[in-house]
Amino acid sequence: MQALLNTGSTINEGRLAKGGNKYSEDYTKECAVCWMCAEDFTSLGCPEKVSVTSRDGKHTVAVRSKVTEAMRSGQVFIPRSIWANVVVEPDTFSTGSPRYKGAPVSVEPTDEEVLGAEEIVLTLYMGGE
Amino acid sequence: MVFKNIICPVCGGSCDDVQVNLDTKNRTIDVQNACKMGNAKFQEVVSSHRILKPTIRENGKVKDVSWEEALEMSADILVNARRPLFFLGSETSCEAQEVGLHIAEYLGAPADSNATICHGPTVMGIQESGMVGATAGQAKNRADMIVYWGVNALESMPRHMSKYGVFPRGYWTKRGRFDRTMVTVDPRVTPTAVASDMHLQLNPSSDYELLSAMFTILNGKEPHPSVEEITGIPISVMKQTVEMMKESNFVAIYVGLGVSSSYGKHRNIEIALNFVKEMNNYTKCNIGALRGHCNVAGFNQLASYLYGYPFGLDFMKGYPRYNPGETTTVDLLREKDVDAAFIMSADLVNHIPADCAKYLADIPMICLDIAPCPSTTAADVVLPGVIDAMECDGTFYRLDNVPVYFEPFTESPFSETKSNEDTLKQLFAKIKAKKEA
Repeated sequence: MQALLNTGSTINEGRLAKGGNKYSEDYTKECAVCWMCAEDFTSLGCPEKVSVTSRDGKHTVAVRSKVTEAMRSGQVFIPRSIWANVVVEPDTFSTGSPRYKGAPVSVEPTDEEVLGAEEIVLTLYMGGE
Repeated sequence: MVFKNIICPVCGGSCDDVQVNLDTKNRTIDVQNACKMGNAKFQEVVSSHRILKPTIRENGKVKDVSWEEALEMSADILVNARRPLFFLGSETSCEAQEVGLHIAEYLGAPADSNATICHGPTVMGIQESGMVGATAGQAKNRADMIVYWGVNALESMPRHMSKYGVFPRGYWTKRGRFDRTMVTVDPRVTPTAVASDMHLQLNPSSDYELLSAMFTILNGKEPHPSVEEITGIPISVMKQTVEMMKESNFVAIYVGLGVSSSYGKHRNIEIALNFVKEMNNYTKCNIGALRGHCNVAGFNQLASYLYGYPFGLDFMKGYPRYNPGETTTVDLLREKDVDAAFIMSADLVNHIPADCAKYLADIPMICLDIAPCPSTTAADVVLPGVIDAMECDGTFYRLDNVPVYFEPFTESPFSETKSNEDTLKQLFAKIKAKKEA
């Protein structure tokens, strides 16, 4: 499914980040989540987890799915965090700010494990060091 | 012991009414008046995960070292780099940022702060159009219409609505919420949208078109019908919103990253600012950004008055240059245009796109922070941070660019440093000694 990715704050994301708990299970539960509407969730086959892939296909991240009335069809939301930023486009349109809002992504069901924030750094960014 | 009127160092709200009861014996802290985020940050003073010792990465292994060794290694990395990046985060004082800027100038390096991945486009929009602004107190006392555009205030600045925006009883708004109309413009049904009188649920990345159509209506013309399909908002609703604004005594518009980070970027802000200027022909109207990090506005103010530019500075040529898209953090990292980095009081690895974060993890990185996070994991040197407004004094700039001086209620837990400013001064002395040796 093609969708536009929106990222942003949630109060518990803020509480956990500001409280220095980015490596906690609670932070992963709060932020490694892809919000979508019931229609899109059904069209994907009601998966427990989805993989979100950037437009260029270079980066993919597995997150849990969440159904909510806050979203419209064709739009997904991931709380601002390392999971969302794996698939945020790095082009800044000459402003310095990447496309945190409205980046095209594809969303598909997955069985892949949802990694913690530290695992993402170690495996995706540091090459397993 | 109870301390009153403590400044909260979390978001741009810089709440100044926090009450803290610190029990140093049992290492507990009770916080009143702060929001969920603020309370969590105050708990860091006594938390078990606080970074208390400097560390370095050697052959892939992390080990504790003395402050002296950590500062020496940091100075070596920065002096030996051809083009080190200084990312002077916003969760610290202007005083610390100032020292960081001076180090960057001394080394001929690029220097940037959180604004670059936050309201940088907003600042660029202001440079294009100028801004009709007001302090938060003006909006509190006068505004009878509040517009949250592309911002979920209830979750990103939880006390904004109760302290400045919607609920407080002001001089001309004595009935508080009952004297105000609240409108939210957001593609999501956020808690802020639910709390509003009116929600314009526009399509993503159509802010420019919606603002443009409302500008057209304000000028007495009919927008093109296609704008309904593009934005998802009926023209009748746009007209109603413009009329509500014109009939209000004082309109306060707050913009968030929904405007400045969507497609259109600073051009969205530019047209919003022009719309506000035009609206002042009918009523008083101002616009302000909800700044997410506590002193993100401070870096813009500081860098502007010291060097003439608000963020994304580059001292490579011996004088400050500013070219967003070239001298800004994400672009520098994406283009692999720096070869070392100093990250202070900001978890940069967590907040930048994967290509940039991966490159940042590849190059030598020094990170000054208070708690374990992706940036400290990827860093080669970790310097423990001192918590501003709790353990040292200094200055923040609030969301409306009002400077707020803060005083601590406890001391730095380190005998080696009193504040992040102090740490940076020690680092600067070592850099100078190595460079001039």
